[in-house]
Amino acid sequence: MAILTGRYGEVLYDPAATTPVAIISLNAWKASFKTAKEDVTCFGDTNKVYVPGMKDVSGTVAGFWNSATGASKILFDAADATSPGLLKLVPNGSTGEQAHFWSGLAYLDADIDCTLAAPKVSGEFMAAGPWTMAP
Amino acid sequence: MQNAIDSAQIEDALLAVLLNDTVLQSICPDGVWWDVAGEAGGKPARRYVVVALLTHADEPVFGGRGAEDYTFLVKAVMLNASSVDSRAAAQRFDELLDDEVLTLPDYVFGAMFREQRIRYVETDAENPAIRWLHRGGHYRVQVGIPT
Repeated sequence: MAILTGRYGEVLYDPAATTPVAIISLNAWKASFKTAKEDVTCFGDTNKVYVPGMKDVSGTVAGFWNSATGASKILFDAADATSPGLLKLVPNGSTGEQAHFWSGLAYLDADIDCTLAAPKVSGEFMAAGPWTMAP
Repeated sequence: MQNAIDSAQIEDALLAVLLNDTVLQSICPDGVWWDVAGEAGGKPARRYVVVALLTHADEPVFGGRGAEDYTFLVKAVMLNASSVDSRAAAQRFDELLDDEVLTLPDYVFGAMFREQRIRYVETDAENPAIRWLHRGGHYRVQVGIPT
């Protein structure tokens, strides 16, 4: 085990929610697993006191526009989907590291930013079912 | 993982466009040079084209390189020449390079266009009576890596 590069990160998605495949030409993803905390501070407490509520799973993916099959169109199709797909986020897809990932059902939004530089795409996702971390 | 692509294909293609143009050859007969001119026909070059790589950026994607973005300096350099000639050279650069296409065997060509003009006069360091005319532009070349 070691600290590894994100160069071989992966974002995989399957609209049918069974076997996710890598979306090409992406170069960033971010996920947030925040549990809401309810303020239960009472008279006499010397500091604020919280209890955990429900965990929220959401995040972003980003990269470059690519018209090839298996690239940006997956994001935009997902943005139109009425049912959630299976999203899998891999920090490092190198041999021996693929087993470490987060995955779960998600809805996605998609954005494109086109300037004179390479057009960039991005998307936000939010959980549509339970998410797990492997292993 | 992708196989390495020879990035020199980009400058090779750009130089080929300039070197093979007969109009440019007549305006700048002392050749097309990378960074610094050498001798032309045993004499110091006096009317020539200089090409240089100003900036380059790889656009990384997961697993490799997704695209590349180049800016090249392309200018005519002329000794005590008429501004008519340097103007003609700059005009020819634009005809050859602005919104034109480069043939690249291993890349997907994206775009080529001028980003800014260059025009200035330089006085010779040893002889102030000698004036060098510089004229051309910064040309941007954008290419993609096939997926």
